[in-house]
Amino acid sequence: MTPELVSFIVLAIASTASALGVIFFKNAVYSALSLILTLLFLAMFYLLLGAMFIAVVQILIYAGAIMVLFLFVVTMLVPEQTEDALRDYIPWQRAVAGILGLVLVGGLSYLIFTGANTTAPKAVGGSLQAAVNAPQSGNIEAFGQALFHGFLFPFEVTSLLIVIAILGALIFGRRA
Amino acid sequence: MTHSIPLSAYLIMSAILFSIGVVGVLIRRNPLIIFMSIELMLNAVNLSFVALSSYLDSADGQMFVFLVLTVAAAEVVVGLALIVSIFRTRRNIDVDEMNILRG
Repeated sequence: MTPELVSFIVLAIASTASALGVIFFKNAVYSALSLILTLLFLAMFYLLLGAMFIAVVQILIYAGAIMVLFLFVVTMLVPEQTEDALRDYIPWQRAVAGILGLVLVGGLSYLIFTGANTTAPKAVGGSLQAAVNAPQSGNIEAFGQALFHGFLFPFEVTSLLIVIAILGALIFGRRA
Repeated sequence: MTHSIPLSAYLIMSAILFSIGVVGVLIRRNPLIIFMSIELMLNAVNLSFVALSSYLDSADGQMFVFLVLTVAAAEVVVGLALIVSIFRTRRNIDVDEMNILRG
């Protein structure tokens, strides 16, 4: 029962539960928050697989920008079913949240002080000839080598795609 | 890197998340929730890419995740602008009511 297996099982159960929460909550805001939780669990999956850069990018862009956009729109639009939601106020919620916050701080401090286990460096993409001289230290360097040697043209095309998306949003968002 | 978990575990996880997204697209009528289910499907595919990239020791899979992330962001921007403009004219965002183009 390695730590990797334990964390995989915990993450699998948790991400499946939050993904089910996305599609089954009646309140759209709960669905959006559940999707943010799913995205965070997926970022932990990426950390488990050794893709540190993608994990951070996932949190920054997906959970940090795309879901914020979703929440803006969800809270702006009126839900179609006007059900009077039951205001269930859990009395012990703040105490549990405080304890979990302390657990999080304790866990992070423990990792910082004892030093996290760094895995072996990753090889660069097999389809690139320039990747032979890539430095063998760190995952982000391999990703950077792949990005700027083999995938440079798709990278530039995505900037064009983003400009098109911004223009489209501006056109759709204008008051007629 | 050395793995103790078989690759099929990650791929099954990705398949489970993908099918949850598909069910969400099929059973919900709020287009925002349908959008979120589509994002869930995209993330399931990202998990497959990252898992295969890690098990085959290639950074190409992570590059594709980067591109999928960018395309998903662009798609969300345009889709949400569409939904907001539909809401402005109809004051209602039930997908079952959007049947003007039906032949």
